[in-house]
Amino acid sequence: MNANEPTVAIRPGLAAAIERAWTHVSGPGTWFTGIDRLAIAEEVRAAKPCPLCQARKAAISPYAVAGDHVECGKLPAPLIEVVHRVTTDSGRLTESWYRSILDAGISDAQYVEAIGVIAIIIGLDTLDRALGQGTKALPAPQSGMPSRVRPAGAAKTIAWVPTLEPADVSADDPDPYPFGDPVNIHRALSLVPAEVRAFFDLDFELYLPQAAIRDFDHDMRAIDHAQIELLAGRTSYLNDCFY
Amino acid sequence: MEVDLSGIQKGAGDGDGGVRHGDALLAFADAVILGPDTALTESRSRLLNLLGTEGLVDAAATVASFNSVVRLADSTGIPIEAHKQEIAAGLEQSFGPREAWYGR
Repeated sequence: MNANEPTVAIRPGLAAAIERAWTHVSGPGTWFTGIDRLAIAEEVRAAKPCPLCQARKAAISPYAVAGDHVECGKLPAPLIEVVHRVTTDSGRLTESWYRSILDAGISDAQYVEAIGVIAIIIGLDTLDRALGQGTKALPAPQSGMPSRVRPAGAAKTIAWVPTLEPADVSADDPDPYPFGDPVNIHRALSLVPAEVRAFFDLDFELYLPQAAIRDFDHDMRAIDHAQIELLAGRTSYLNDCFY
Repeated sequence: MEVDLSGIQKGAGDGDGGVRHGDALLAFADAVILGPDTALTESRSRLLNLLGTEGLVDAAATVASFNSVVRLADSTGIPIEAHKQEIAAGLEQSFGPREAWYGR
């Protein structure tokens, strides 16, 4: 079976969003090249079988388990730590751990961009796994340099990372909130607006567009709201996610 | 509509909880996230028979969405909104103290 060929018919909107997501991941970002971003994607896939990550996941405290990651050798060690921890045990991350990553030389914006790439890859790979389609081969990187534009109005307010309030989006910033007023989860990646747009472009097709989430009079999907939220709740629970 | 939310915590094996095909959906989510692959193959087939291809795709996509979006919240420290905190407090009446929700 060719893992790059879909074996299950996927609705056109979702199929198009998947293709856009792969284009986004393989292209230059705001702080990383396409090569770096695909290296992050590759590292996401290396994280699950990593013995250190497995030991940490099983431990009462992941911070009590020392060792080296089994990794792909393409990224600096602090970034590998980010990719592996976020992929395998994100529910137990702490702000002090995040600060240790900054102290190790990863910038806050690089961190946020990496989170965006990690989350998209996990979404895409989880969908493929769930549908029994096999893991898609990573695409070739696209050429081009990162834009290196930091939103001037980003500030550390509600989260560990600086975020961008809608009122602080300037004319020079790509609008991270083209879909309307953001809730807190939309702000999470707003230090890198392109990652907000890309993640939720995919997520609105995986889950629901923002306006449809509480439109209980209509069902946009082939499963109803109750079925969707049961799946959402169970998946969040299995990931130890309070949000 | 009356639903039993305990399936979110307990997983499959305890009925549908008032959600159409709820037990099969819970089994599917568990198999996608936890495995093993044999359980995923079985639960996928079950869900395909119950929901058809489009339903299976949307179920898979929902699990994929929430398996990824949790990383945004967990890794950035973004807080839950105040009005959701109030809802969560209400859930504690059903599920017990929040600290014990994830004891496994």
